[in-house]
Amino acid sequence: MTVLRASLRNFLAHKGRMALSAVAVLLSVAFVCGTLVFTDTMNSTFDKLFATISSDVTVSPPKVDNAQRTGTPDTLPGSLQDRLAKVPGVARVVPEVSSQQATVADSRNQDIGSSTGAPTIVGNWNPTQTRSVTITSGHAPTLPNEAVLDADTAAKHHLAIGDTLRVIAGPGDTKVTVSGIATFRTTNPGAAVVYLDTPTAQQVLLGSHDAYTDYALDAAPGVSDDQLKARIDQALGGHAYQVQTAAELTAQNQKDIGSFLNPMKYVLLGFAGIAVLVGIFLIVNTFSMLVAQRTREIGLMRAIGSSRRQVNRSVLVEAVLLGVVGSVAGIGAGIGLAVGLIKLMGALGMHLNTADLTIKAATPLIGLTVGVVVTVVSAMLPARRAGAISPMAAMRDAGTPADARAGRVRAALGVLLTGAGGTALALAAKASSTSKGSGLLAIGVLLTLIGFVVVGPLLAGLVVRVLGALTLRMFGPVGRLAERNALRNPRRTGATAAALMVGLALVASLSVVGNSMVASATTQMDKSVGADFIIQSGNGSPISPAAAKAVHAAGHLSHITDRTDVAATVTAPDGTKDKTELAAATPSYTDDLQAKTVQGKLIDAYAEGAMSVPEGWAKTHHVTLGTRLAVAFTSGSTARLTVRAITSDDTVFDKGAMYTNIAEARKYLPADKFPSNDMMFAAAVPGQQSQAAAALKAATADYPQVKVRDQAEYKSMIKQQLDQLLNMIYALLALAIVVAVLGVVNTLALSVVERTREIGLMRAIGLSRRQLRRMVRLESVVIALFGAVLGVALGMGWGIAAQKLLALAGLGVLSIPWTTIAVVFLGSAVVGLLAALFPAFRAGRMNVLKAIATD
Amino acid sequence: MTTSVSSPPAQGSASRSLFAARARGLTKAYGNGETRVVALDAVDVDIPRGQFTAIMGPSGSGKSTLMHCLAGLDTASSGKIWVGETEITKLRDKRLTRLRRDSIGFIFQAFNLLPTLTALENITLPMDIAGRTPDRAWLDQVVETVGLAGRLKHRPTQLSGGQQQRVAVARALAARPEIIFGDEPTGNLDSRAGAEILGFLRHSVDALGQTIVMVTHDPVAASYADRVLYLADGRIVDEMHAPTADAVLERMKSFDSRGRTS
Repeated sequence: MTVLRASLRNFLAHKGRMALSAVAVLLSVAFVCGTLVFTDTMNSTFDKLFATISSDVTVSPPKVDNAQRTGTPDTLPGSLQDRLAKVPGVARVVPEVSSQQATVADSRNQDIGSSTGAPTIVGNWNPTQTRSVTITSGHAPTLPNEAVLDADTAAKHHLAIGDTLRVIAGPGDTKVTVSGIATFRTTNPGAAVVYLDTPTAQQVLLGSHDAYTDYALDAAPGVSDDQLKARIDQALGGHAYQVQTAAELTAQNQKDIGSFLNPMKYVLLGFAGIAVLVGIFLIVNTFSMLVAQRTREIGLMRAIGSSRRQVNRSVLVEAVLLGVVGSVAGIGAGIGLAVGLIKLMGALGMHLNTADLTIKAATPLIGLTVGVVVTVVSAMLPARRAGAISPMAAMRDAGTPADARAGRVRAALGVLLTGAGGTALALAAKASSTSKGSGLLAIGVLLTLIGFVVVGPLLAGLVVRVLGALTLRMFGPVGRLAERNALRNPRRTGATAAALMVGLALVASLSVVGNSMVASATTQMDKSVGADFIIQSGNGSPISPAAAKAVHAAGHLSHITDRTDVAATVTAPDGTKDKTELAAATPSYTDDLQAKTVQGKLIDAYAEGAMSVPEGWAKTHHVTLGTRLAVAFTSGSTARLTVRAITSDDTVFDKGAMYTNIAEARKYLPADKFPSNDMMFAAAVPGQQSQAAAALKAATADYPQVKVRDQAEYKSMIKQQLDQLLNMIYALLALAIVVAVLGVVNTLALSVVERTREIGLMRAIGLSRRQLRRMVRLESVVIALFGAVLGVALGMGWGIAAQKLLALAGLGVLSIPWTTIAVVFLGSAVVGLLAALFPAFRAGRMNVLKAIATD
Repeated sequence: MTTSVSSPPAQGSASRSLFAARARGLTKAYGNGETRVVALDAVDVDIPRGQFTAIMGPSGSGKSTLMHCLAGLDTASSGKIWVGETEITKLRDKRLTRLRRDSIGFIFQAFNLLPTLTALENITLPMDIAGRTPDRAWLDQVVETVGLAGRLKHRPTQLSGGQQQRVAVARALAARPEIIFGDEPTGNLDSRAGAEILGFLRHSVDALGQTIVMVTHDPVAASYADRVLYLADGRIVDEMHAPTADAVLERMKSFDSRGRTS
């Protein structure tokens, strides 16, 4: 009990010194809990949404495995309505029209669809819609060319009743007038939603007045969903249609959304994990320093009879207290974080209701477990060290703890781990296949990381001296004092820097890989892309036939290429069936994208009855030039195509594509089942580049979803997309870096406390406050830069190994992002300065007399 | 020793060249109202230049406070203090720090040295901080005097307590300050090492004209001084010139008994 009381008192007495460790625990736990609460809330919001919108039974077209985007959704015949209505137990049949393959533009021809990847949904106004929305102003679409728009989109694009919208879909293109605004009852998942009257919807979206996309059925009282489904299955005979009860439909929707939400959850948890890892360094350092500062006290306790175990336990009890306090606060902060994320999503267009905030019982439990376990495990080593303090320590004049000599064992272990890791990385770089190499890469990354952490304190001596020579010396004696201070406890400096290293290594390696990706893509574009213009649909949907037609009509072009992916099942000679897609294109595509072949000539793959296969696939399935492959299309007809070319896998574009002539593919698929172009390419008549560009832009001006880019624009788009991704990753890594910076603050603040008497002495013999603060700042900068050196070295190693490995997959160009590296170093120096703000202030405030007073 | 004539203070100028430090009406009180404790009660004191002054008194007599105030480490509640020609009671931290750096040397009882610096670096630290280059010949002479030649590259942890104090003495002397303050400089040493240190201090006064003020409760240490000031309850109660250890001890005993009976 006394041990517990002593721990409690110690904990309370050192509140301030524990504060930053508690913040580290808090942040890590908050990230974990925030992620869980946020994703759970998303899930439950969607569950609610799906449950409310699902009719008792829904009949929809048969599910196609290998669906392709023709620009028109699959439909059910209008005649089905009467057949369904006659089934006993059906109270009501609501025919529905809904398409996610349409574009809606405002009067300035700007796409009003979501910019975050959520779909644009255009449908008919029908009685089931009132389950998810209510018309809050205006009226439902009753006349042709009237439309109801969802309130969020209306607000975002400043649209009101009376405004004109343009709905562009495969079959039709029409102008409609907003007659009403609808507000979501539950949550708008971010989609832009437009309701038309049924005939207009049918005509524009489906191209037929006698078709619907599905039927929503209400069961008569007393008839269960399952009973109704069974009766309908029987009435329709067999499985030609998809018949789902409300529960089944909800489950399917949940599964679909889960496939998007779950990876997001794990990625976020991964980043939380990195922050937790970084937090460990901070906690280890805190406890090590607290134990070091209490050496005499612990020695006294040992002298008067405390056992090693008791001392050990007292430290661990403090760790438990810290873990509990930090975790509980972290759980609260996590919920706050989730609310913040929900608000942020709201700003981005996805309006989740904070009233739906879902906190599962497991969430606080997980948070508490993570926080406490991490803290206690981190305190284990310092606790053992505390237990090992000899009773003699009470008698010694402790002063500051002597230099902790980093042991030989540590050196050997660190070098061994780093060496093994480095070897694994080198082997990964030289691996013959990506699958073999990626395992080695992972091992290499892990071993070098641990190796660097272990060997860090030893490197501290070397690196800090070099850094000191480069930067600190210019600050004269104050710089020298700072350097010595950074060096006096290499283990502490090493651990502090290692925390920063983790985040920076990830930043450095990802930026190397990302930059190499952009460089490789650019290089390959220069080498293999012959097209002057690349035409794509901005929202990822296919290019509508009307838009394609407009492109074909543009002048000043020497050729125009259609390209699309056609779903097909390819049967190899060895019997394996591969559900895949053929890249069907006009033969001019060989000029637009000059894919390398390892065998045969690419243009031959565009001959009648011909195709190409990629190198790796050919090898696996023992396919050579001349092999005939059975290619089954979704229409049911099967083509027998001869392999005339084998393409190289060493490419960034169209990796693994099987090429064939688009005319060949059209033979096997009816026009209404043939997918619209997913991309188009065009080359200008020599010398008429700018006229051609103008002509194309003019031709597609009417189609807001279609984007025409020349090579330079395409390159910058690739770079932009990658930069966006990297920035998102950096933002997530920022948490780990913030925790590491807290670690620097923590180490410095505790060092300042530890060096109270030294500081007093220096102040007494004439060190000014300014010089003192500068000394603390310089020490901080040196530690931060040391972390940056370790992180960048490690990250570059990882990045280069990854690039060499991915060279097998087309990432042939290594490009080191020197600017990013420079920013990392500069940023670290700034971070060092910021981290020192508080400790330096504290050191400056120290009372000279108290500092030198003998205790 | 240099005696600058710039910025003469308001008070009589004849006395200035004679005193390295002076205080008039120096009062130091802690707390307010009922909890007010007076550590120094209107003390007037003159520290003559080129003399070795010892300050003695029982615990709590205010001797350390007096020294801290004279050295610009602590602020006076009221009264005036001069170090050389400078009145320090009005100085802000920045000027005060510079004064300590340039005009004052310190020898503390313990923890005099920075563990990260070598003996030599510790000795030249005040000058390094000031950005001045030490006078090589003088430095050699000081190092020679305290017998540290050969140990200059050592870190404090590699030196004995006596050696550490010798480094501290060397540091105080090296910058040729106006005045050196010692706070029980031999308190942590055995009598032989203590005698050595006191010998150096005495020598620096005799041979170099250094001014030294030392707080001590050891009569033997006090006997090295030219003059002993006795403090009790925040006042200077007595003074003794050319003290001997026995005489000091006798005087202390009489204060002690008086203190107990009162």
